[in-house]
Amino acid sequence: MRLILVDKSGDHRQNFHPLTLSRPLWELRCGMTSLGEKLQAKIGASDIAYFLPEYMAEVYRAKTDRPVNDPASLTGADLLIVDARVKADGFTVPTGRSEVGVNEQGEVLYARITAVDLKKVNGADIAAFLESAKAALPNVRCELPTWNYTWDLILASPHQIAADFAIAGRSGIEGTVEEPSAIRGNRNDVYIARGAKVHPMVVIDAEHGPIYIEEDVEVHPFTRIEGPCYIGRKSILLGTKCREGNSIGPWCRLGGEVEESIIQGYSNKYHDGFLGHAYVGEWVNLGALTTNSDLKNDYTTVSVMLDGRHAIDTGSTKVGCLIGDHTKTAVGAFFNTGAYVGAMAIIMAAGKALPKYIPSFAWFVEGVVTKGFGHKTLYETAATAMSRRKCQWTEADRAMWDAIFEMTAGPRDEAVKKGRRAMLK
Amino acid sequence: MATVEERIKKVTARVLRLDPKEIRPEHSFTEDLGAESVQSIELVAMFEEEFGIEMDEDAALSVSTVGGAVDFITNVCKEQGVDVE
Repeated sequence: MRLILVDKSGDHRQNFHPLTLSRPLWELRCGMTSLGEKLQAKIGASDIAYFLPEYMAEVYRAKTDRPVNDPASLTGADLLIVDARVKADGFTVPTGRSEVGVNEQGEVLYARITAVDLKKVNGADIAAFLESAKAALPNVRCELPTWNYTWDLILASPHQIAADFAIAGRSGIEGTVEEPSAIRGNRNDVYIARGAKVHPMVVIDAEHGPIYIEEDVEVHPFTRIEGPCYIGRKSILLGTKCREGNSIGPWCRLGGEVEESIIQGYSNKYHDGFLGHAYVGEWVNLGALTTNSDLKNDYTTVSVMLDGRHAIDTGSTKVGCLIGDHTKTAVGAFFNTGAYVGAMAIIMAAGKALPKYIPSFAWFVEGVVTKGFGHKTLYETAATAMSRRKCQWTEADRAMWDAIFEMTAGPRDEAVKKGRRAMLK
Repeated sequence: MATVEERIKKVTARVLRLDPKEIRPEHSFTEDLGAESVQSIELVAMFEEEFGIEMDEDAALSVSTVGGAVDFITNVCKEQGVDVE
C-alpha cells in the first residue's frame, strides 16, 4: 500500500502559519519526530508520495527522493491518502475495501482506494482527485482527531516526547559524559547517542520525563536539561536552562532559558533570554535577551492573531510566540504573549513589548513596520546564514520565497501604512 | 507648490532632526548628515509618504546624496504619474 501525504491549499494552512509558509504541514515537529514521521510509522508504509502547494514543491523535491505532486503516484497500487492534519495516535489504519473518511464539515481526512477502484477516480489535481473519490466510493463518517493550530503541537509536545521515547526504545549512554556531571531520575529514561558530548558540570534531570540527546550534540557546562526533552543532532547547548518539554531540532544553538518550546532546526538562540511555549522555525536568530511572555498576568487564555486582524482564543493560558523561518531579532526584543512573528522578518527592539502581529518580510524598526532594505537584502542574509551550515540557497528557494512575499503582501502593506502614519505623528 | 528639492530637504530635516537650511544637494545622507541605517529606512518611507510614490528599496537605498535623491524621486514621480515641480 502506498501512503500519500496531503497538505492541500486551503484555509487550514493559515492555522499553522508562519511555519507552514515554507514547508508542508507534515514537516512540523511534535515530540521527537515530525507529524509525517508519526503517520508513516503508524501506517507502516515504505512507499510514500507527497502532495503539497505547488509554490513549495520544487524546494521540497530537493529534500526528498520521494515523488512530490506527481500524478503518477496516484496510480498502480492500493492507496492510502491521508490529510497531514490527522493525528497518528488516533488513526485506525483502514484495510480491505475502498472507503473515504469524511469529517463533519465534509472534508476528506483519508481515502483508502484499492488499485481496482482507481479507475473510478480521477482529477486534475489532488483536491479534485479526493472529491472524485468522495463521490465515487463509500464514505465513512469519521471524527478523527486532527491538529488544528500550531499551538496544539506546542502543548502536546512534552507528552509526545515521552511517548516517542518509549517507541524509540533506546536508553543508555553511547556518547561521552564528562565528570562531574549528574544524571537524576531513572537512567533508563536517558539516551545519549554516539558522538554526543556532555561536558562537566551538567545536570540531566530525567525525574519527570525522558531525555533523548541525538548524535553529535554538545552540551556545555552549567546546562541543566529537564525531561521530557529531545535535542536534535549537532545541536549545542550553551549553559542552557533547558526546562521541561523542549523539542529542539538539528543544528541549533541554544542558550538562556527555554521551556516547552519547539525549534524546527538550524536556528540560534545563543544568549540569555526566555523562550517559553514557542514554536520557532528554521534559520532564525534570536539576539541576546530576546524574550517572550507565555503567560498573561491575569491568567486568562492567550489569543493569537494569525492574519493580523482576528484574534483566536487558543483556550490555553500558556502560549508563547510563533516565529517563521529566517527571522532575526535584535538584542532585547520582547514578544508579548501569543505573538505572531512572520517569516523573513527583521525585528529591532522597541524598548517595550512588540506588537502581537508582525507580518512576514517586515522590517520592524523604531517601533513600526517598514519595508526596510527590501526582501532582496533578506535573501542575501538567508543565503549567508545557510552557507554557514553548509546548506545552499537555491533558485528554487528564491522562487518559493518570492511566492510567499506575494502571498503575505496584504497584512504587510497594511502594517507599513500604519507605520507611516505613526512616523508622521 | 514646493520643489522636489525643498520637499526632500524638509523630510530629511525632520527625520534627521536638522535645520533644512543646512542641507545641500551635495550632502551625503550618511557621511555629511549622519543618517544611520535605521534612519535611511525611515527616510525612504517618509519620501514615499511625502510624494505618494512606491520606490524599489534596493534602488532607493543606493542613492547616497540629497541631489541624487532629487533626481531619483523626480524620475519615480514621472514613472508613476505623480506631478511635481
